[in-house]
Amino acid sequence: MGGVRILEWLAPDVPALAVDWEAVYREEMPRVFNYFRYRGFERATAEDLTSATFEKAWRARDRYRRDRSAVSTWLLAIGRNVAIDHFRRSRPEVPLVEDAATDEETPETAALRAGQSRRLTELTRALPERERELLALKYGADATNRAIATLTGLSESNVGTILHRTVVSLRSRWDEGGPQ
Amino acid sequence: MSDSFLSRLREEPRPEFKERLEGRLHEIDARERERRLAPSPYRRFAPALAGTALAAALALAFTLEPVRAAAREFLDLFRVKRFAAVPIDPARLERLAKGGLDFKSLVADQVQVVVAPQPPEAVDSPEAGAVRAGITAQLPAALPARTELAETKLSPAASFRVQVDTGKLEALALAAGADEIEIPAFWNGATIDVEVPPVLGVRYARKVEAVDGRPAREDSFLLLQAAIPQVELPEGFDLATLGRLGLRLAGLSATDALSFSRAIDWRSTLLVPVPVQGGTFREVEVSGHQGLLVTFQPPAPAEPSAPRPRAQGLVLWSTDDKVLAVQGPGAQGGVELLEMAQSIR
Repeated sequence: MGGVRILEWLAPDVPALAVDWEAVYREEMPRVFNYFRYRGFERATAEDLTSATFEKAWRARDRYRRDRSAVSTWLLAIGRNVAIDHFRRSRPEVPLVEDAATDEETPETAALRAGQSRRLTELTRALPERERELLALKYGADATNRAIATLTGLSESNVGTILHRTVVSLRSRWDEGGPQ
Repeated sequence: MSDSFLSRLREEPRPEFKERLEGRLHEIDARERERRLAPSPYRRFAPALAGTALAAALALAFTLEPVRAAAREFLDLFRVKRFAAVPIDPARLERLAKGGLDFKSLVADQVQVVVAPQPPEAVDSPEAGAVRAGITAQLPAALPARTELAETKLSPAASFRVQVDTGKLEALALAAGADEIEIPAFWNGATIDVEVPPVLGVRYARKVEAVDGRPAREDSFLLLQAAIPQVELPEGFDLATLGRLGLRLAGLSATDALSFSRAIDWRSTLLVPVPVQGGTFREVEVSGHQGLLVTFQPPAPAEPSAPRPRAQGLVLWSTDDKVLAVQGPGAQGGVELLEMAQSIR
């Protein structure tokens, strides 16, 4: 009906007015995808998990509360749950990056990247679960220490300390392997 | 300590994956739109509940007082006391959007959701819901024939903060062709707080048997009530100009928008937009209070054999401390809705 149709048109959009979900998809999808990649999932699985994350988020976006967290943090929280569910079903042991070249890569650069990735995967595989998760959030999803603290329940300073220690250790072992 | 070796392995998702997932999300949108348009009573319940609260949002777009005295010592308040209809052309905004007006983001960038609206929650009884809403429940003494109480829900409180951006308002005025409206520079950065109270909704249902080839159906009558929503305005803020801008965007001429803005009390009147096509409205009296009865006949479907959508109606009125609405079938000019509203004690 007239007034109500207009109100219907406006009311559900009030929360949406504050969040441009199309822009969120464009900006956040690569971050979520890379979070899964850095967690060690092969590309196809990372795509499936990214899809699952966004489909869940899309259906629940009316319940997103901007006052509680940034939308990127909210999405990563969903993504982490999706990853946990996946881990429960099957624990993958796969390389971070496949050898196949993407559209923008030459076979040479793809091979170089694949080599680096395998090394990084080997290095990170030896890390404790918590450190691997923090690295995926920091370097895969490009999350801030504050967002990581929110997601993991650790203090922000603790996140910074753990990450610093982990990166120093990885850097040292990375350099030991010589130029890549 | 360089950590670039860790981040340089990030990769762009494949374009075909991006497109595929985007398509799936659009499918979710499409299904959600269909769900909203389906004639289920509670589909309309939440938005209509939010509609009362929407006083606030609408107030920003369509209302408020003419320029008054220069300085005030306290914040101004807008309180909904009455409703007035304004005919609008919903297709106009669509045409403006097609012409390049990004209405949504121009408005969205100025609105911050402080407490997001939540879906209505089921409550045991109207009285229990009223306690949580901080109001005294008023219920109808007379219902349409064969109509019974079906369920009660409570829509939690919500709040919004609007931070005015004069650049965006000027862009809106320009797009609307409203160059006669001057947006004062001192508005820039002003904040407007909108508190949406909890809304109690009581749904009554009537089963209608199949007859003359028409399928059986259930009619719903929704009684909505809430404490009077109010909007805190910055000191001395002239929102009549915003109201005129909203009216111009809705399709009124410069002259009509100006006369409309001079004719009503912007401090207490909430404008209810009624589509030009298929919409009717008239002032009514409900228990000694001035109210508004709006009906809407949706357009006939393109397919001739498809059933014609049923008319819908809405009665809105306010008492000293509450706003109330009855929404439901709008046949015969909404007479059932009006009788139900007038029996509410």
